[in-house]
This record gives sequence, structure tokens and C-alpha cells, in this order.
Amino acid sequence: MNSIRIQTHDFNLAEEYQLLRELSPAVGAVVTFTGLVRDFELDSSIDSLTLQHYPGMTEKLLQEIVDQANQRWDLIAITLIHRVGELLPRDQIVFVGVASQHRVAAFEAAQFLMDYLKTKATFWKQVSQDGKQHWVESKDSDSTAAARWNTRGD
Amino acid sequence: MANRVVGYQRTTALIKLLFFGRLGDFAKQVPATIQASTPAEIRERLNADYPDLVKELCQPQVLVSVNQMIVSWEQPLAAGSEVAFLPPVTGG
Repeated sequence: MNSIRIQTHDFNLAEEYQLLRELSPAVGAVVTFTGLVRDFELDSSIDSLTLQHYPGMTEKLLQEIVDQANQRWDLIAITLIHRVGELLPRDQIVFVGVASQHRVAAFEAAQFLMDYLKTKATFWKQVSQDGKQHWVESKDSDSTAAARWNTRGD
Repeated sequence: MANRVVGYQRTTALIKLLFFGRLGDFAKQVPATIQASTPAEIRERLNADYPDLVKELCQPQVLVSVNQMIVSWEQPLAAGSEVAFLPPVTGG
């Protein structure tokens, strides 16, 4: 019941939610997260954002992350969408949707999926600011967020 | 030099190279393939012509994959392997 997609085109939150909602009458909770392109990076505005990834490996890593979430929580379905290519401020970048019987599993799994995706999946952001391109640096706060899932005893 | 060439013929294989993120900016002139027996040897062999790239590759956060699996820098390479150099990821 899991769907992993890497795509250049946009996604529709309502459609993705509906797909998860209609999967099974056992679905009692759907948690969704959508990541957007901010209009600033390092305190200055950006013109655009380009997302590069490692085709083949990214899909494999996302599948591993989804498998881990399914092992940790009792879930009915996961949808994971990540866009690549050139995006503009306010564009949607990433979608995580989790359907489960109960809300705690869906909330926690959605957060886990995002934390792991941000620190393990092979995507790289390049921003364009005033006509100049530079690669975005990884953030320690993202590593810290992912690391807390290692200390929960499972 | 002659010994080195003999050594390469005995122990090395043709490897496909990929550089992602900011590493790609330093690797624009690097050939698509190289002969080497480990990722660490690739780094050594690139050092003469691409010292700026190799300096980046030596950063501890840079990971290396072989055929899309993260491995150690000493992983033995088979002919036709795809070796990718991965700076810290920034997706999401």
C-alpha cells in the first residue's frame, strides 16, 4: 500500500489525501506533511531552487526509509513524493502521507519519514540568488532530528 | 613508473564515476571512467590533476557508494562498478 514517487511535476494534496483515506475502512487517521520552497536562504531572497538527485539510489533509500517506518509502527499506507528539477518560491517540494488505524502511529511515522528523508535520501538543493548559484549546506539541526529516532530502544 | 603501470594492470578495473551536489562543480573536467581498485585509490589518482576536488572528497562528511550502496573507502571494486561521491544530502 506504499507509494514512492520522484517527479518533476507538482502534486495535489487533496488527491493524495483522498487516496489514503479511501484505501481501507480500517483507516482511522491520515497525517500529511507538505514541504514548500521558502523565498529566502541565509537571510537573502532566492530566485529559484534546483533539486538534484541520484536516480536509482534515491528510490532505493526511500524504500528503505518506508520499510523502517512500517517496521516501527503499525501503518496501513505511506505515500512519499519528492519533486526534482527547478522549483520556485512557494512551490511544493515534498509530500509525506501516512494512514493508520490510530493517530499516534501516523503522527510519529510522518515525522520519522521526514527526518530520515532529510538526512539519508540522496537529494541536493542548489539555490539561485541574484543570478548566482550555490549549493545548500546541510543543517546540524536535521541530523539531530534524525538521531533522536535512534535512542528510542527499537 | 613502469612498476606502477604493471601494478594497475594486475589489480585495477574500469570504474564509472559520479559526483553529486557541490562535488560536481569541482569535477567538471574529470573523465567519466577511471582505473582503480578501491574508492580511496580513485581519490589518490585524481589528486595530481584535480587537487581542489580531492580536497573536497577528503571532507569527513563525504560518503562514497558503489553500485548505489554506501561503502567504506577501502571497498574492493569490480570492473564496471559505478562509484558515486556524495556530499551531505539536503533534500526535503
